[in-house]
Amino acid sequence: MTAYIISIVTALVFLLISVFIANAIKFEGGSNPKDSGKRKIWFWILAILNPSINFMLGYFVFIPKANIMIVEKYISDLSIGTGIGFVLYIVIGFILSKMFKNGKLGHWF
Amino acid sequence: MDKLFVIAIGGTGMRCLESFTHLCAIGMFDNQEIEVLTLDTDQTNGNKGRVEGLIHLYNRIKTSGSIQGGTPNANTFFSAKLNLHKYYTNYSSLGRESYKNISKISSGSIEQQKANGLISDLFLDNNSVQEFNLAHGYRAQTHLGSLLMYHGIVEAARNITKGKDVQQEERELEIFISKLEKSGSNARIFIFGSIFGGTGASSIPVIPKALQDFVKIRSGGTSSLDFSKAKFGSTLLTEYFTFKKPDDKQKLTKEDSVIADSSFFPLNSQAALQFYQNDPTVQKCYKILYHIGWPIESKNVDDETSGHKTITGGATQKNPCHITELLCACAAYDFFTRKEGLDVAKAEYLYKSVAFKNNTFNFSFNDFVGNINKSGEIFANRLGAFFSLAHICLSKNGAAIGDNGIKGFIVQCEQQKLSQYNTITDEECIEMNDYFKLFAYNFDNSRFKPGWIYQIRNTVLPGSFLFDSKAFPDSAAELKKMDVGTLFIDKKFHWPDGGILSNSYDKFVKELIKSNPNSDTQKVNTTKEKFLAHIYNAITISQNFNLN
Repeated sequence: MTAYIISIVTALVFLLISVFIANAIKFEGGSNPKDSGKRKIWFWILAILNPSINFMLGYFVFIPKANIMIVEKYISDLSIGTGIGFVLYIVIGFILSKMFKNGKLGHWF
Repeated sequence: MDKLFVIAIGGTGMRCLESFTHLCAIGMFDNQEIEVLTLDTDQTNGNKGRVEGLIHLYNRIKTSGSIQGGTPNANTFFSAKLNLHKYYTNYSSLGRESYKNISKISSGSIEQQKANGLISDLFLDNNSVQEFNLAHGYRAQTHLGSLLMYHGIVEAARNITKGKDVQQEERELEIFISKLEKSGSNARIFIFGSIFGGTGASSIPVIPKALQDFVKIRSGGTSSLDFSKAKFGSTLLTEYFTFKKPDDKQKLTKEDSVIADSSFFPLNSQAALQFYQNDPTVQKCYKILYHIGWPIESKNVDDETSGHKTITGGATQKNPCHITELLCACAAYDFFTRKEGLDVAKAEYLYKSVAFKNNTFNFSFNDFVGNINKSGEIFANRLGAFFSLAHICLSKNGAAIGDNGIKGFIVQCEQQKLSQYNTITDEECIEMNDYFKLFAYNFDNSRFKPGWIYQIRNTVLPGSFLFDSKAFPDSAAELKKMDVGTLFIDKKFHWPDGGILSNSYDKFVKELIKSNPNSDTQKVNTTKEKFLAHIYNAITISQNFNLN
């Protein structure tokens, strides 16, 4: 259960960081504004970092000190949780992007 | 609501009209369709060509599909519809080059020739005034000019009545005067021109009477203009610029035997003011006369391109704009928007003063349009909004250095998934960019070229002119990094700065995304009108004016 909570919390934190970065990138003028591209790139960088950091956090920081059976189950849950976290990040990101399609988050998708 | 008419006469009148057109562009004449007549003796005059080009550009910006010149809107940029009519007294064809030729002194019987010659000699110098080339105007010879301008308009009426050899410019004059006649007592006519120079000074006293006689001749005596009902207003604009004195060498030929000498302009102005104060015809025809002047040293308008000769007219006469011309345009605003003071039997003379300290003028928004019904704040809001938009278009979006300018907004909207403006073409965007270049500035081979508002501001320096001095940078680097939200001296009208993670432009774009044009109150129908109204709304909200 801990592994899933770690994955969900990490995904949400990464999403929050993505929102923060998207808003911190200022609108640009001119014929070739690059601000929308930057927001998209940062969203996907964090999308990749999210499972990596999530797995490393779960493996090195939150790993339970118990017998091998429990640890193996935890790692299995962590792997599934990491996948769920990755999907969750993208799904919520997609929903937010469509919800705020005229704003800065709209540049994610 | 009264129908508005503007008549611009001579070089100075044209530059006043230029300022008036910019007032229309910033949105000072909501819901109005204004008939404009340019009237000159010099069809090739540079100032005339410049303002006519500006109005054509204005109309192209307002045009959508088959609606030439668009429709009147409210609370937006380019809100007034301008209908341009051009008339010039033709002195270029054979037999019309000088007074002597045009008046046919040498025709008729010997007795008639003698009588004509004597009358002409009584008023007009035989060797100079009767002989100089009229193609470049009346050259400060107002006694000749009034006669010939009246003659030109009456001659046009006669030609149209006869229906023979009617020139295009005469047709345009007829269309203008027909609209004036049709408006009857609802007509408000404002005339721009100087009283110290040639064409304007010659025409202002006689134009109402000439228009009245045009209507009489055209209608065969069945119709006329009633001066007690039609409301005429004008400026009494005294001298405010100088140019180099003509030398004897230039005056050697008969065509150039008379050249306006700006050292006489103060004297001309004094004489004209005496005339305007006492002349019963002027007092009867005009309702309000706005006395505008420049009581400090006049600026020299000669530049490096003018050479050794005094420019008498023609395409090279393109003088920079001056703040007095903007004041004249604002006088027209006062005349067109005032609700009282027009029901008078005798002309009223109006003037006001501006703060003068350390040998400089310091202008505030209220100095231009007063503050009745918050007009000073409305002027500040609209001029500030248009100026900010010009900076965004020219520098932020780079139109002044060849980048896409106003198209940047459409790209911005597209990126924010607001696709309603995608149908605005690149050509239409270029037209808007061109207007902003004329309004603010441009770069010609990386050399800064000041536009109208910069030229106006330059005439007031080192005094203050409406905006913070930081609003007027003149290098590409400074312009690129300037904050378009901080143009005003008063910080309460600065755009919100957006906090640590944002800036005023970023905040403005967020406002642009949130806001929308209002088709009902702003009377905008076409995509281009909605686009301009949308930007206007976003900037107005950012400026934080309380205009309700």
